[in-house]
Amino acid sequence: MTFTIFLALLLLQVPIGIVLCMTAVFYVWHSDNLVLFASYGQQLFGSAESYGLLAIPLFILAGELMNEGGLTRRLINFARVFFGGFRGGLAYINLMANMMMAAIMGSAVAQIAVMSRALVPEMEREGYEKPFATAITAAAGLMGPIIPPSMLFVVFGVLAQISIGDMFIAGIIPGLLMGASFFIIVALVGLVQQYPKGRWMNLQEAMRAILYAVPALLVPIVIIGGILSGLATPTESAALASLASLIIGMFFYRDLKLDKLPALFARTATNSGLVLFLVASAGVFGWTITFEGVPQMVAAWIGDSTSDPFVFLLMVMVLLLFVGMFIDGVAALILVVPILLPIATTQFGISPFQFGVVVCLNLVLGLLTPPVGTGLFVASAMTGVPAMTLFRSLAPFLAVVTGLLVWFCYDAWAMEALL
Amino acid sequence: MLKQLSDRLGRVERFMAGFCAVLITALIVFNVITRAMNQAVFWVDEIAIFVMVWMVFFAMAVLLKERKAVAVTVLVDMLPSGMRRGVGVFIDLVVLLFGVLLLVFSWQWYAPLDLINAGFDFSQFSAKTMNFMYQDRANTLALQKYWVWLIVPWFALSVCLHTLVNLLDDPRGHHMDKTPEGTP
Repeated sequence: MTFTIFLALLLLQVPIGIVLCMTAVFYVWHSDNLVLFASYGQQLFGSAESYGLLAIPLFILAGELMNEGGLTRRLINFARVFFGGFRGGLAYINLMANMMMAAIMGSAVAQIAVMSRALVPEMEREGYEKPFATAITAAAGLMGPIIPPSMLFVVFGVLAQISIGDMFIAGIIPGLLMGASFFIIVALVGLVQQYPKGRWMNLQEAMRAILYAVPALLVPIVIIGGILSGLATPTESAALASLASLIIGMFFYRDLKLDKLPALFARTATNSGLVLFLVASAGVFGWTITFEGVPQMVAAWIGDSTSDPFVFLLMVMVLLLFVGMFIDGVAALILVVPILLPIATTQFGISPFQFGVVVCLNLVLGLLTPPVGTGLFVASAMTGVPAMTLFRSLAPFLAVVTGLLVWFCYDAWAMEALL
Repeated sequence: MLKQLSDRLGRVERFMAGFCAVLITALIVFNVITRAMNQAVFWVDEIAIFVMVWMVFFAMAVLLKERKAVAVTVLVDMLPSGMRRGVGVFIDLVVLLFGVLLLVFSWQWYAPLDLINAGFDFSQFSAKTMNFMYQDRANTLALQKYWVWLIVPWFALSVCLHTLVNLLDDPRGHHMDKTPEGTP
């Protein structure tokens, strides 16, 4: 009955956070545990009360400030100095710039929105086909949630109660592998279809681009240097990066105007509020899952069908592909992790880091597949390429990511090598 | 009149949410600097967390007012427009119900009448009601947590107001006519 209510509300377009809250209310009422109602508010508040979650607003703010402050643009220009002249140069620059941005932003959708606005018109001007240009940008955006820092990893770390820093480290090699395989795809496609010729900047332009990029390059250095030197935690380095972007955008580039700031801050707050309210509502929803013994039921059911961790992870992949068709990102994570993680770790002995990377990568893949792929529709809306055309150009990228996923399911090496 | 109130409240909440986002950043930067100078202030982290939770509730109130919270739109997108409008009204009613329920739960939680009966004596109140919410303290701050939790009843009240205004303003669900913007 509780499940029916949950599904009905969800499919009738009630905001997901409210669906979770109302399902919990119904469950408590139905199971006659009415005393829980008096601590409902406390549970809602308490679930968002976590140090790790601070990283989410901080990294969103850093990303916003980098874009509005013109830092992103200068970083792209910087990459052009070195690769702009090669045939297909801009395609590789697109990937590189996205990898750099992935180290700053934590959300694929935001990254796809920003980068397709910044890069697709440039690529079109140089003669690339628009669907291909958009596909590269959208696929490269998939690295956002895997290359640390990552919003999905933060939420996963909080749900799984493991160190978020370690989760970030677990994501480094998988992220780099994705990047490398994307480079290979772009190169292979280049053999079939001739990319437009690039143009080298002349010395004066090049010097200028390098000089202008120096302050912007400070931001990734602040983030990585802060973490490595032990001066700041990953969360704190995001705050430092925001401060650095603010100063650079306002005083060096002067792109960041004072009157734009209130709207930018409000946007940061609402975008992170959207994600964090889901985490809060997952707290009350958790009652339902725990008291009903859902993990035990699912565990019993899965235990009957397999005892092999690899097969189990493949089943999880299929399930997530299905869930990801309707719900995306953090919301899906919140629904799935509390149920499946205990099974994965206790029954199958899978490390939480491997499980986390597999689940997050899986959900990210769902961002680019219809019918609900938010990332797909954002890229399509930003560039005007029809979603289905875009999906066809994306196919090779998606196939490779799927291949990597199967490998990560089979072998935990990529996740655990650096831990 | 109500609409004006809701709009004004929405603007205040949007401002507060943005302000909280800045404050979190400032607090964390402050934390790094003081620690680097060996003058670490241990309670800053906890304030930053509280500010973040406040930001979430302010922001969510604004998002619900603007009907911009994430939702699953696949099924409803396929419905004919008449039914879509019906669903629109249904969504507003569910959100309103949530607001009202949260308000009721907050009332049970803070139990103001029992508190007055106990003459604002917290230990007597807890002895009578077995509700220890007024005894809960923050981990590192010299602060009773019931002050921080006040954002929950505020949020409940605000959701009620915003959704009620949304419903009165558009009782037939015409907001479902435009292409849905379920995603941010």
